[in-house]
Amino acid sequence: MSLSELVLSIADNKQMLGLRYAEWATRAPSLEADIAAAAMGLDDLGHSRVLYGCLEPLGEDPRGPDRESDPASLRALPYFDEPWTQWAQFVAANAILDTAFTAMIESCVNGSVEVLQHRLRKMLMEERYHFLHGRSWLKSGISAEPLEGAWREAIEWFGPPDGEVAVLHGEGKLSLGPKELHARIEEQLEMRSPDIKVDWKRWDPIRRRTKPGAIDEHTFGMLRGLEEKRFAPSGAAKEA
Amino acid sequence: MTSYKRVSGDAVEYEVFARKTRAEPLHQVGSVVAPDDDLAIAYARATYDEERWCEMAIVRKEHVIELWQPGETS
Repeated sequence: MSLSELVLSIADNKQMLGLRYAEWATRAPSLEADIAAAAMGLDDLGHSRVLYGCLEPLGEDPRGPDRESDPASLRALPYFDEPWTQWAQFVAANAILDTAFTAMIESCVNGSVEVLQHRLRKMLMEERYHFLHGRSWLKSGISAEPLEGAWREAIEWFGPPDGEVAVLHGEGKLSLGPKELHARIEEQLEMRSPDIKVDWKRWDPIRRRTKPGAIDEHTFGMLRGLEEKRFAPSGAAKEA
Repeated sequence: MTSYKRVSGDAVEYEVFARKTRAEPLHQVGSVVAPDDDLAIAYARATYDEERWCEMAIVRKEHVIELWQPGETS
């Protein structure tokens, strides 16, 4: 796996995180939390656009034509496969997964690749507010299941101890390897992760997950613009 | 249905101040309700970030010391 593949994984995950945040813009526990969900959703969708824009300067765009037809070709984590039904899922994603993606972006910004150093820096400033939001809600206490799920997927997403993230770290392209990334989010959140054993033999190095599956049909249709066509005026299809 | 205690009972009001240029003073742009400073910061930024502020600050409303109110004499 190349650095481009990793950047695409961050972009796909940020895109899905943004969409799932936005789904809670009218369902969060308070008006302020609604607005924060909408704002963080917009931030992450914007971040994904910037990350997709880095693929060409990196010299290699790993996106293939299957992304138009196969939801499993997207590289998002299982956590985003279905819309969240509980606020606790939102909070766990906000506190653990968003912080994990930010730690990886920080690792890119402090690494040796110039385009990532420059283009991703502003994201770190915006992510500060996502972190404060996630950590504060996490401190209020949420159920164990989504929290453990988010930790597991963050650890899987960082990859095996001797995987390509470790290699990129060794080459200086990333400032942090899997072990350091894990320690970084524990330090930021002021908590230890649960004791999680990952079966790396089942791990998909492209999608950075062990669990099969893909995002739901409705969300995939929306990403591809197919849902939009359902609401188009009846004559529009003929004219187009 | 889960109830979120921190949304009502634990939450306090914060006043939000901002300015667009260094030459102008901070002025109040609104308020947010949150159970702690971290969340109040995140809410203030999310709610009032539409404008290009050069500075934004929040203050717990209970920390504002009032000298007099409308209708009272100074």
